[in-house]
Amino acid sequence: MVRSKSLGSKIFDVFNTILMTVLALSCIYPLWYAFCLSISSKSAANSGMVTFYPVGFSMASYQQIMGDAQFFRSFLISTGRTVLGTAFTILVLVIFAYPLSKPASEYRPRNVIMWIVIFCMLFNGGTIPWYITMVKYHMINSMVGLILCGGVPVFNLILLVNFYRSLPRELIEAARVDGAGEWRTLFRIVVPCAVPVLATLVLFTSVGYWNEFFQGLVLSSGERYYPLQTYIKQMVVNVQTTNLSMDQIETMDKLSNKSLDAAKVFISMLPMLVVYPFLQRYFVNGIMLGAVKE
Amino acid sequence: MRKRIVSALLTCALTISMLSGCGSDTAPAESTPPEEQESDSGSTQAVTAEPSDEVAFQKFPEVVEVHVGQGVSTTDSLPAGLSVDNNQYTDYLLEKYNIKVVVDWTAANGNDYNQKVALCIASNTLPDAMVVNREYLVKAAKSGQLYDLTDLFQQMQSPQVKEVMDSTDGEAIRESSVDGRQYAIPATEVETGSIQTVSVRQDWLDECGLEAPKTLADIENIAKVFMEKKPAGEDTIAIAGPDKNTSLYPSFQDTGATTGGFEAVFSARDAYPGLFLKDESGNVSYGTDTAAVRETLEFLADWYAKGYIDPEMGTRDSTVELINSGKVGMFFGAWWVPGYGIGDAYRNEPDANWQSYPVLTDDGKYNVRTGSVTSGYCVIRKDASEDVAKAVIIMANALLRDENTFDVSEQPLNFWPIRTLMAPADECEYTYHELYNILDGKTTPEDYQGITSAYKLLASDVAVVKETVPGYESGRQLSVSDFSMDNFGNFQRMYSLLVGDRPYSTTPVDKKVKSCIFSQTPTMESKWANLLSMEKEMTMKVVTGKSDISAYDEFIENWMAEGGETILQEVAEY
Amino acid sequence: MKRQGVSFTIAKKRNTRTVLSYHAMILVGMVWLILFNIVPMFGIVMAFQDYNPVLGFTGSKFTGLENFRYLFSMSDSRRVIVNTVIIAVSKLVLNILVPLAFALLLNEVRQLKFKRVVQTMVYLPHFLSWVILASVLLEIFGYKGVFNTVLSLFGAEPKIWFSEESYFRQMIIFSDVWKEFGYNAVIFLAALTGISQDMYEAASIDGCSRWKAVWYITLPGIASTIVVVAILGLGNVLNAGFDQVFNLYSPLVYSTGDILDTWVYRIGLLNVQFSLATAAGLFKSAISFVLIVISYIVAYKAADYKIF
Repeated sequence: MVRSKSLGSKIFDVFNTILMTVLALSCIYPLWYAFCLSISSKSAANSGMVTFYPVGFSMASYQQIMGDAQFFRSFLISTGRTVLGTAFTILVLVIFAYPLSKPASEYRPRNVIMWIVIFCMLFNGGTIPWYITMVKYHMINSMVGLILCGGVPVFNLILLVNFYRSLPRELIEAARVDGAGEWRTLFRIVVPCAVPVLATLVLFTSVGYWNEFFQGLVLSSGERYYPLQTYIKQMVVNVQTTNLSMDQIETMDKLSNKSLDAAKVFISMLPMLVVYPFLQRYFVNGIMLGAVKE
Repeated sequence: MRKRIVSALLTCALTISMLSGCGSDTAPAESTPPEEQESDSGSTQAVTAEPSDEVAFQKFPEVVEVHVGQGVSTTDSLPAGLSVDNNQYTDYLLEKYNIKVVVDWTAANGNDYNQKVALCIASNTLPDAMVVNREYLVKAAKSGQLYDLTDLFQQMQSPQVKEVMDSTDGEAIRESSVDGRQYAIPATEVETGSIQTVSVRQDWLDECGLEAPKTLADIENIAKVFMEKKPAGEDTIAIAGPDKNTSLYPSFQDTGATTGGFEAVFSARDAYPGLFLKDESGNVSYGTDTAAVRETLEFLADWYAKGYIDPEMGTRDSTVELINSGKVGMFFGAWWVPGYGIGDAYRNEPDANWQSYPVLTDDGKYNVRTGSVTSGYCVIRKDASEDVAKAVIIMANALLRDENTFDVSEQPLNFWPIRTLMAPADECEYTYHELYNILDGKTTPEDYQGITSAYKLLASDVAVVKETVPGYESGRQLSVSDFSMDNFGNFQRMYSLLVGDRPYSTTPVDKKVKSCIFSQTPTMESKWANLLSMEKEMTMKVVTGKSDISAYDEFIENWMAEGGETILQEVAEY
Repeated sequence: MKRQGVSFTIAKKRNTRTVLSYHAMILVGMVWLILFNIVPMFGIVMAFQDYNPVLGFTGSKFTGLENFRYLFSMSDSRRVIVNTVIIAVSKLVLNILVPLAFALLLNEVRQLKFKRVVQTMVYLPHFLSWVILASVLLEIFGYKGVFNTVLSLFGAEPKIWFSEESYFRQMIIFSDVWKEFGYNAVIFLAALTGISQDMYEAASIDGCSRWKAVWYITLPGIASTIVVVAILGLGNVLNAGFDQVFNLYSPLVYSTGDILDTWVYRIGLLNVQFSLATAAGLFKSAISFVLIVISYIVAYKAADYKIF
């Protein structure tokens, strides 16, 4: 690329590089900050001395977490929910989206079902009817409940339907001529083509399951059933402002341990950090393929 | 984060919550109960058998399972191996009464807990028993989800519980009733918690050669002298004000007095802002909408303009911290503030001699405003068996009688299943007088051993009073130098009782005013938050001179227009 | 003739078999959809009832539109709607402009490695939950937080930023834009790669400045993408972000920060006004539905883009 290098252009390049660096750093700062807090001493963390680097290095928080059975239980619940939930959801979406990607001429109920699906994306009965239904289904304290309770992720379904539709018809026709059934076509021909989109959906779905906290709270009868985010939510932000009694305030001050809280927060971010770089290269393509097809 | 919230809300929370601190450790005595003159008595005494210990503490022949929903504190925990349904309290209940507690669900106290309760009500899946607030009580009762305790409670309550209930003049039972039927076992608060006194640095008074204050004129004069002589140096503050989380006076729903607010000033001018008042003929008015309130606001604005009140009132993070710093000469607060509330003031300055006095009207009358006596309601599912309902009442009886027999160091009392804390309304005053009896040698600590009464902490209080107040001399007002701070917890408690509650324990009350309603009406549910914040803003602005008194008139107009009128009607029909 | 008949039968058979497999494929998804999306929807009748939990949906008294009438007579609900629209629309606009600007600037970066690193880093916040981010943000913008520490260098008063009425909305909008700008830029970055490099080279030879190249080549090149993104956002006018606000707000900032979803949560669950909350939720769904339909039509007509 031959571009003239005027002075202004160079200055711009410098500033642009600085700006991009600052923006990028701001995005990982919370992570870094939580990490610094978590390995700082309790007193430094509580007194607000930690800013851009750890103060008074201490692994006490991590040692404490090692002994926190509830944290691990919640971590396991979240992991199970994420892995099983993602596998189940993706499998259902892969199959469910296929007939919906056919034109109405090939599969007549397609349009009706599609509108029902869209309708489900926009309307819901609200928390209370939903909760009542979940109670009727015995979904309290159950892993199945945690996986199914959100219903079909319609947005992701549409993404996949759109992708299927963008596949060349010849591909599928060719399979048909070879005498392959629809199931075979789907799993042998279509799915391998959809890997980037599926990778994106895996990322979205697993992030969704991992980050969800509200259903975890409502569908659990106690802390021991909480997924990780619910556990963290009640740990860090559940201090009720109006109901504190004198002795509660005192104990809270004594127990308040920002370093420990930060360590829990940091650990809960880790799985995302581990998974995301692997899927990142797909998701840019995936979004483009699914959403913007012009 | 906790710290952030804590610091931001310390004072506000203190105000509201101190009562529970007091309730859990207090003692009994026979006080001259302040003359009652309520406009809205009308007791709901059921005619049933006198309560007896045999019935109240009966052991079931077979194990009765009680399923409960339990609030847990995020800061309390049990030793390893124990759980909410397996601890010293559940063991005790099973062993003594054959009551097996099964915890259906737990949730962190506060929003999470309330959400759980709401979902239980919505889906009609209540556990056998749980503790709720008044809104949920009303909703569930009106939907027909609750066990009618009207008769059973009268039969089953222990004599102690009855004593507590009677100490509220039937108010506690009325509060737990919906449409005339009792649907809950109430948790009760001490009455004095909602009454403000003025606390003064006696050592400053002595230094300036002043007398203790009686009326507002005295307080004004003292403030004037304090500002001239500046006993704490240049930044002396004569009167502390509310901090940014506190309002000028409590709203009708609050159970406790404010720390740094001015409701005592209003009461001494016969003004009762924030309360709903019903006159003899049944007309309901809002307490803020009176000429006396308007004048008192101007009166306070005058104090502020003259520099008597902390110029940074309403913006400070914490009034308590300000007082602790030793710059303040006077403040208004509840009985517990001089002891429990400002412990650091004595740590910083051991001879800071805070003394509390009642604030009287110009003609020497003592007017007080009191709050709700109940703070929570234990409800029972409608379909529960009678044995379950009995078991829940037995649990309340047992809690009151045996609360102080448990070792709470490892297993905090919060883990008592469905805990309804009960304090007789006059617990502090009763204790006050009994403590004096001990100090004066009229009784000995031994006299109080083995007596079961509703005043469950009396025995432990009388046991420590002598060592905590070694400098006591009959006939002379106690000063801070008479106390020993060796055991700081005991010091705080004794100072709160003997100095902080002295005004209410010893001054005959001429007029007692309470709101005719303590819970929200339907319109309030949607509008009250807004009206209340308008009111707080207006009062703060008028007193600090940011607005003139026309803001008050404007507020009253808006208040009426934006739902106040409907609310008054609803209160009248309530 | 005979042959034709046979092939016709085979085709028909085949067709039936295909449709049958399609039915089977739909089945699992539909069961999930019906049980977990559609069945709870019957609860919407609560919005037209004075719901009594004991009597249930079938037994409670119908009150027609009473709940809605009441809903709109409340000054609270107006305040909440105003907050919602202000927050949501600001987010909508900024979540297009900021990512667009970012994409354009990043596109000017020529060291590919640096570009990739920046991209990886800015996507990150999108994948963190609001529970987690809120806990960290409340800390950073807390009284003793980093932000105040930095500000104090310039002599500014420390504040609890998420507890200040007059800043809360800005904080919400700002933190959301910050969280999402990297992710939202993906779509623009992808569109940018679609612009032919030849045009830039031609422009460069003609002595066209970089700024002009952006204005005359880049922007027109991705204009249709911008339009589509904008139209798609329309359905979110009442979506101000429950998770975010719920985790960051406090009673101190209800006046400026309370949005429809959080309000519905509070009146429905904490104030036990089940019917009213459902009515408010339904109102929101209905408005969103209309907006989506409009955006569907507009996108189809204006940009020839079919959303589904």
